[in-house]
Amino acid sequence: MHTNHQLANFSARLREEIRRADEGWAFPFEELAIELHQLQRAHNPAYRRFCEARASRGELTADWREIPAVPSAAFRELELTSLAPAERTAVFHSSGTTAQPRSRHFHSVESIFTYECSLVPWFRRHVLPEWGERAEFMDFLALTPAPAGAPGSSLVHMFATVQREFGEREQVFVGKISTDGAWSVDVATALEVMSRAVAAQRLLVLLGTAFSFVHLLDSLEEMKTRLVLPPGSRVLETGGYKGRSRELPKAELHALITDRVAVPASHIVCEYGMSELSSQAYDRVCGETQNPKPETRNFLFPPWCRAVVLSPETGREVADGETGLLRLFDLANVWSVLAIQTEDLAIRRGDGFELLGRATHAEARGCSLMAH
Amino acid sequence: MNLPNYFLADLPPEATLSAGMITEACQTLKRNRAQYLRARTTRSLVELIAHVAENWRETENPFRRHALDAGPAATGFSRETLARGLDGFFAQFTVENLNALLAQELGHAQRLDTFAATGADERANRSALANGPELLAHIAAGNVPNPALTSLVLGLLLRSAQFVKCARGASFLPRLFAHSLYEADAKIGACLEIAEWRGGHHELEDALFAEADCVTATGGDETLAHIRSRVPPRARFVGYGHRLSFGFIAREALSGFGAKKIVTRAADDVVAWDQLGCLSPHVFYVEGGGATTAEQFAELLAQELDRREAHAPRGKISIEEAAAIASRRAIYEVRAAHLPDTRHWASEGSTAWTVVYEADPMFQPSCLNRFIYVKAADSLAAALRAAELVRGKVSTVGLAAPDERAEALALELARWGVTRICPVGKMQHPPLTWRHDGRPALGDLVTWTDWEK
Repeated sequence: MHTNHQLANFSARLREEIRRADEGWAFPFEELAIELHQLQRAHNPAYRRFCEARASRGELTADWREIPAVPSAAFRELELTSLAPAERTAVFHSSGTTAQPRSRHFHSVESIFTYECSLVPWFRRHVLPEWGERAEFMDFLALTPAPAGAPGSSLVHMFATVQREFGEREQVFVGKISTDGAWSVDVATALEVMSRAVAAQRLLVLLGTAFSFVHLLDSLEEMKTRLVLPPGSRVLETGGYKGRSRELPKAELHALITDRVAVPASHIVCEYGMSELSSQAYDRVCGETQNPKPETRNFLFPPWCRAVVLSPETGREVADGETGLLRLFDLANVWSVLAIQTEDLAIRRGDGFELLGRATHAEARGCSLMAH
Repeated sequence: MNLPNYFLADLPPEATLSAGMITEACQTLKRNRAQYLRARTTRSLVELIAHVAENWRETENPFRRHALDAGPAATGFSRETLARGLDGFFAQFTVENLNALLAQELGHAQRLDTFAATGADERANRSALANGPELLAHIAAGNVPNPALTSLVLGLLLRSAQFVKCARGASFLPRLFAHSLYEADAKIGACLEIAEWRGGHHELEDALFAEADCVTATGGDETLAHIRSRVPPRARFVGYGHRLSFGFIAREALSGFGAKKIVTRAADDVVAWDQLGCLSPHVFYVEGGGATTAEQFAELLAQELDRREAHAPRGKISIEEAAAIASRRAIYEVRAAHLPDTRHWASEGSTAWTVVYEADPMFQPSCLNRFIYVKAADSLAAALRAAELVRGKVSTVGLAAPDERAEALALELARWGVTRICPVGKMQHPPLTWRHDGRPALGDLVTWTDWEK
């Protein structure tokens, strides 16, 4: 098919550039962004219509910042994809509430491959920075359900990918899914895996959402259990709570992790990602001792995904240190839309950002009955 | 303007309140009330209120000037919004209107002074007297100032000592109004207390509730339930839950010049207090089959809101509120690009105003700050079906309809559960005699003594 041919060529080139960037070469972001935008306008009908409706800014742009961004919420309503129905082998959903329709980010075998090529080097650089220099392998423990139980979760797919890529043993997922679809942690199994790591003195990488960590740590507290994971063990923590456990400020959660499983703040890495993207941002390199406080750490995307912080009032980019809505230009979103307008508020910090969270969760001043 | 230190809200922001301070303030209020307020005649209080309200409408009045000069920074409303809102509000407080309120609520304007009888009472050889609470505590909400100001006036008519607990950052206007009463009559001012703290501060609130014999509160259902559970049984609790409002424009109202007039009035309702009150419209339903379609009405309303922004701009809003508007606009931009029956209009380079037209009549709560939905409805019945989700939560319906249909429509709205129906353009300007949420204004606060002779 014509569509696939052009986008597939682009994908191949992007993967090559990602590989080169990982080796230290400059990444040609501007050039690729404009090229991909043109391809997406040509081959993604829902996105094309959106661009055309912006009559005044309808011409093809030469500036990547002008590429029309679709709101992440549009993935709930439209099929924002260049993939024909027959090519769609996977779909990633947002983990949103059941009351609203969920986001749908369609993938094919090739787009998943591109997703993984984007994911792996940036994960390695932040979570396993010493990878390749050391002889010993690490073990992984994901607090989410396994891919078979959660095929629509991009996060679970990510955790499976990094275990396949960097683990030498069987993949370990200890998340359970209840009948209403909510996730919880099989604490007994998690404890068994951690105890084995302690006994064998093998480094452990814990992967999970904030609420899964709260669930695990609260259970350890109830059991009056504390573990001392081997030094060098680490935690990757991501995402919000969505009412699935008690909510903790980040600093408190991290202090709790250190207290219960002896992973120091320097080895707790936060990730920012969403089902509508194909790249992830991290807020530290594991083991770095600068900036131990989570609230002063900035998220950084890889060179093939740029973050821009815009004033919600004017729509213009804010100055460094100011707050606005986060807009992302993710070139690994080859088959969907590269420019995504999130509903997350962030503070612009250099090339990165400090995450403040969902704007719509803010307290309303007016006499409004229900949250959006 | 340097205000003297009369009230707790006058203390410097770094001062921390204690339960002891609240108790002491309440006891002082009650003593002052016994000495200065209890024996005042209704007539003298009505005259005082009318006098102070009239002063507030004089351009040179120092309180008014301070409200307009310092108000934008303190309240988030623009000078023009404040001027229009305050002028409309204080215009209500005339001697005539206050007496009409007393007559409506108590059957007789003198019933707070002495035993008085209505015609029917006389025939039955009985009369009655109404007593106000000794100490009335108000837990005010933060969105718009008029409910707190109205509460103060009602309490004054009842000769109650009053303690107004304002929401965080919302004491500016109640405090100014209390100062203006103090200036007009220091003895009356000594029976008022204004304080500000973040709602849910149990220590302070429990001290207040322990002293009050009547507590009014405005807020969300959860807040009200929480307060109610903490008010001691001997005190009366009167709660006003959050409400929302909408407009309905009958097809006949939109012919010829009528359309332009209704659009102007609809804009009045959207811009008043930047749409933040319970009486502000979230949606305007436009009945199908008229000379102007809902879509055309939406476009005209957008043009009008754009004009308003030039001379009565919306106030500054928080980054979270702006983000809520920006995010909501973004999704409607997507829908408008894909659906023929959705359109949107928005201010350029700001979040000042937004109009969303949808053919789908399903009621949508707005994110406010001048973000208004215009929806098509085949009939009032269709609009009410589409608003079923908010039934029981609707305060006001702004109605534009020809005389020959108005009564039938009003009846339909009343049966459905709407507690106030008013012309479009007047939604944020209820009269003094308005029964808040369908409840009596004074009647819920007084205790009667019946005398059967």
